[in-house]
Amino acid sequence: MQVTEAFKHAFLKQMLLGFQASAVSTKSMGFQERKNAIKLSADVAMAVARGSRKWTRGLIAGLSEERQNRSFLRLILGEQYESLLKPCHSSWKIPRCKKIVRRSLRVCWRKQKKNQSGVLARTLVEKRTQELKRLVPGGESMDGSSLLDETLDYVLSLRAQVDLMQSLLTTFEASKLSRSGWRLKGRGKAKAYTVVAWEEHVLWRKYMRRR
Amino acid sequence: MYIYKGPQKAIGRELSESVRREPSKIMQCLRAPPDDLSILERQGACLLNWQQQDQEQPNYNPRGRGYCRQMQTSFQGLPSGCGGDKNANHGYVHGSIDCFSNGWPDLANIRYPVPGAATVEEASITNVSSNSSRKRKADKSPRSKENGGGGKGESSCKRIKEETGGGATSETGQPNKKEAASGDASKKNDKPPKTDCIHVRARRGQATDSHSLAERVRRERISQRMKYLQDLVPGCSKITGKAGMLDEIINYVQSLQRQVEFLSMKLATASPLMNINIDNIFGREVQINPSCKSGSTAMTGMSSELLDQSCLRFDSLQHPHPCAGLDMFMDSSDLVLRQNVNPPVAVPDASFGSSFDVNGCSVWSTNLQSLYGVDFQQGRGAALPF
Repeated sequence: MQVTEAFKHAFLKQMLLGFQASAVSTKSMGFQERKNAIKLSADVAMAVARGSRKWTRGLIAGLSEERQNRSFLRLILGEQYESLLKPCHSSWKIPRCKKIVRRSLRVCWRKQKKNQSGVLARTLVEKRTQELKRLVPGGESMDGSSLLDETLDYVLSLRAQVDLMQSLLTTFEASKLSRSGWRLKGRGKAKAYTVVAWEEHVLWRKYMRRR
Repeated sequence: MYIYKGPQKAIGRELSESVRREPSKIMQCLRAPPDDLSILERQGACLLNWQQQDQEQPNYNPRGRGYCRQMQTSFQGLPSGCGGDKNANHGYVHGSIDCFSNGWPDLANIRYPVPGAATVEEASITNVSSNSSRKRKADKSPRSKENGGGGKGESSCKRIKEETGGGATSETGQPNKKEAASGDASKKNDKPPKTDCIHVRARRGQATDSHSLAERVRRERISQRMKYLQDLVPGCSKITGKAGMLDEIINYVQSLQRQVEFLSMKLATASPLMNINIDNIFGREVQINPSCKSGSTAMTGMSSELLDQSCLRFDSLQHPHPCAGLDMFMDSSDLVLRQNVNPPVAVPDASFGSSFDVNGCSVWSTNLQSLYGVDFQQGRGAALPF
């Protein structure tokens, strides 16, 4: 099971368009800001390239909850933005449903007190399902089998996203190195290499500290 | 041969269940209390009924009638052939009827006449070949042979014909996992105009009320999806059980999300340097056409090549097909070289882009593994393993 060529092409195109729209390369912004803009572009590109699925809608809805993203989203999506936001109102039904679900669960729990092992297994699965629902965008309003469907799709798209970003990164870093190689000669090239490696090392440490 | 042995009670239950949904024509067959009648007698009654219908409707496909007759003859040979098979291929009768429906429009509605039909096919199969390993294949092979040129309008029949060209070998047309729900659902898919509901057969020793059937359908769907996910998530082949699988899936999704974050961070450091490229790409070419390989200007060529190369490299990361990848790379690099014979001097910004591109093509024109190694061999110093 793999993603299609068309998806990859659309994804790359959307991502580069997004980079241009948010002007990550030209505007002078802080590191965090730039990183968030890149991530936003990547996520939106993934959602747009995939088309209309529950998780893509959930993803865009989740992204639009933050005010700073909305202008970017409106820019990229155009008219689709408004139409994509409308079905979100169905999620308002959920708070009500949760009460009912909880009540029914309590009843079921009382009925099933005798069957301990089954209950244990079920609660384990339940907990993990809840966790998965939190991870997959838009997952709160899905039932078991459609959740697995969306997870499948989401995992494929995430993998494609990682691969794409990795290849972009290697492209740009290769160009960076070669460009710095043009300017520096001899030992300078080694220097350029070490500069890049050091930057990466610093980044990695920052990242790990944050985690 | 796979033989489904079920007690008559179960069969009776199943018959009554299907009868609830089916038109009354078949009611006559099945009115006898299931426990008393032996299957063979019931089948005889059904077949007689069928024959009567056949005679009533002169516009039947003659070949279809011939099939019925043939079935009848083989049915008569049934006691000798099938011996202890008291059961029926319940789940597969749908298939048999599906094939008939073209020739016998009247019977089109009847999804389940006939344990008779199924067992008859089994009998003919035992005569024909003793190697069929699955019931459904057993259904299809004689049907395809007998139907010959007729009754083939339906796609399922065509498919069956193709599949059983080589005899009773493994079939690919339909998922053949379980007899009941998935089988019926797939048969239903063959004939979309038939009904919208999913026909589910209760299995031996299982409750037949609608709740548990629906529950079983749901459970089977979920397990099917878990299997797909198992293939997708690396290192999950040994894990059985929903909870463990879900754990792995959660870990995998979390790690992918973290990877995305980290890569975006890395891109953020690299991005101030990528400004020129992007501007040049988008300055000259508003619409990116990644499939276009013949750019009129060097810039358009570069942008498409950049995308091609990124995509191609992107491809190779997902599907390691070295030969194909290399070919593509060679093509793209050749094109780029041709286009960049005259490095664009007129546009000052282009110098970076073209330099990038030249480097790019030299980088990507060689083996994937030694990509950057080669690049650096061309006078840049130590190889950089990315």
